Amino acid sequence: MDPKVKLELERLRADDPLGRSEDPFADFREVLLLGLEHRFRYRHSLGKSSRFFLALEEGVLLATRCERCGRVWLPPRPVCPNDLQVTRWTELSGKGTLESWTLCPRAPHYARTGEPYLLAYVALEGVSTLFLHQLRGVGPDALQHGMELHAVFGNEPVDHPLERFWFEPLEL
Amino acid sequence: MDDVVVLGCGLSPFRSSRFDGSIRDWVAEAVLAALADSGLEHQQIDQSLMAYESDHLAGQIGQGVIWHDTLGLTPRPTARIEGCGATGGLALRSAFAYLRAGLSRCLLVVGAERVGKSVSTATAGEIFAMSSDTDWELPVGGHFTAYYALLMREHMRRYGTTEEQLALVSVKNHGNARYHPLAQKPKELTVDEVLASPLIASPYKLLDCSLLSDGAAAVILANRSWAQANVPRFSERPVVALTGSGCATDYARAGDRPRDALAHFTAKRLAGEAAYAMAGISEPLEEIDVAEVYDSYTGAELMAYEALGFCPPGTSGPLSEEGVFSLQGELPVNPSGGLLGFGAAAGATGVAQAVEITAQLRGEADPRRQVAGAKRGLSDCHAGTCTVAAVHIFERKDI
Ligand SMILES: [Zn+2]
Repeated sequence: MDPKVKLELERLRADDPLGRSEDPFADFREVLLLGLEHRFRYRHSLGKSSRFFLALEEGVLLATRCERCGRVWLPPRPVCPNDLQVTRWTELSGKGTLESWTLCPRAPHYARTGEPYLLAYVALEGVSTLFLHQLRGVGPDALQHGMELHAVFGNEPVDHPLERFWFEPLEL
Repeated sequence: MDDVVVLGCGLSPFRSSRFDGSIRDWVAEAVLAALADSGLEHQQIDQSLMAYESDHLAGQIGQGVIWHDTLGLTPRPTARIEGCGATGGLALRSAFAYLRAGLSRCLLVVGAERVGKSVSTATAGEIFAMSSDTDWELPVGGHFTAYYALLMREHMRRYGTTEEQLALVSVKNHGNARYHPLAQKPKELTVDEVLASPLIASPYKLLDCSLLSDGAAAVILANRSWAQANVPRFSERPVVALTGSGCATDYARAGDRPRDALAHFTAKRLAGEAAYAMAGISEPLEEIDVAEVYDSYTGAELMAYEALGFCPPGTSGPLSEEGVFSLQGELPVNPSGGLLGFGAAAGATGVAQAVEITAQLRGEADPRRQVAGAKRGLSDCHAGTCTVAAVHIFERKDI
């Protein structure tokens, strides 16, 4: 190690990964490893989806409805991909049914959730698409396809506005 | 029309870490091997296409131009091709278009990615998760194993597909990798070992998931008339032609797709149908001899069998148990070991599939994984949860 090079991690001697008797790269088997880090911070706009996130403050779920084809999109789309019509916001009941789910024993470090956690596709009442979110207040053994769920809003401070709510079974 | 033919193929070893070289070193290894295989000089190449997914994984923007100049190809034209997991397949398709359009007569496709231990597994997972929707899927703790799991659980519910049937794909592909000297994880596994590996997102365990690899792959393609005039002894070698290319897309978030399509890769079905139409294939199981499909997860391979018309929807699990897709089966799939056993280096993957299919059709694969008498092969890769699919057909077309 050269203490004068702060980014140096390690130096080592590599073998030919192909194990050839005559290594064509024999002159190039000394290796120096550095520790590099990049940090980026974004001033990220949620754009025309922002109203969905703002409505969560009132405990309300919104989706976008296309007046022409009647499709209701969530995540919201200001332009309906079916016919490129500009959509309108519509309020949801927050109730839905369980379409598919998966149990994850370990959470990715960016997830800010307890472990284990359940992820689910929820078919929300009045919505044409499936919505991905966490299921809480229930274990995997009690889950059934088609069971009734509802959105539950928390009071704890969160990082991302999507974490303001999750889904739980309507009755257990 | 002039055939598009494969003149040379090369691979770097796929490994969990290649600290002995940088990504441009692996690119050079793969391209030197492809040039040696083709008998061409690098000056005979008139265009390159560089396939890689992530600037984040590489810690370098504009890699394609760097690789191009590393290979001594300036001042010839180059372009970067990107489509997440479909990157390599899209590069093949672009190469086909360049050659057919007369923009190039002899073209180099390079795919490479640094997905190994340069970053932690957690960081690699986060970077890949950034290819899902960062406003809607990432913030709820979404990650790719979970997205694929949500689709597979629907397949299991609807068709009765079992975790044992998933595990068999892992056993097969890790086993096939034993016969590829450049494979990352050759291993003789049992179904019980796969089932006992740590759960990631039910039904998927660690051994149901593809690898994280450092790797590079290169293919040299040309118009047949150019090859006949410029490649020494062209007519004396087996000739492999690219005879079909299909590509299709689907909604990026699987939840936005039609609800009854959750257990199916619709884009892959459409891409396959387009490639089959071009190549004149009507009965894929009978007319294709060998296939490399995108086994990002064991269940994704089963869903690929169905999407590509190897079997009807819902029957991939039982057919897998019968060994239809094993090396000795009716249609061997992933003889290289696939993403599970050979390795998964995003941008390199689709190109490495073409390398394997070419070796198989030439009859040059290791005899232990060579599909006897293979004359027609398929390669298939996709992005996300099959958001972009690219399917290619290769055929032995000697003079
Ligand atoms: Zn509409």
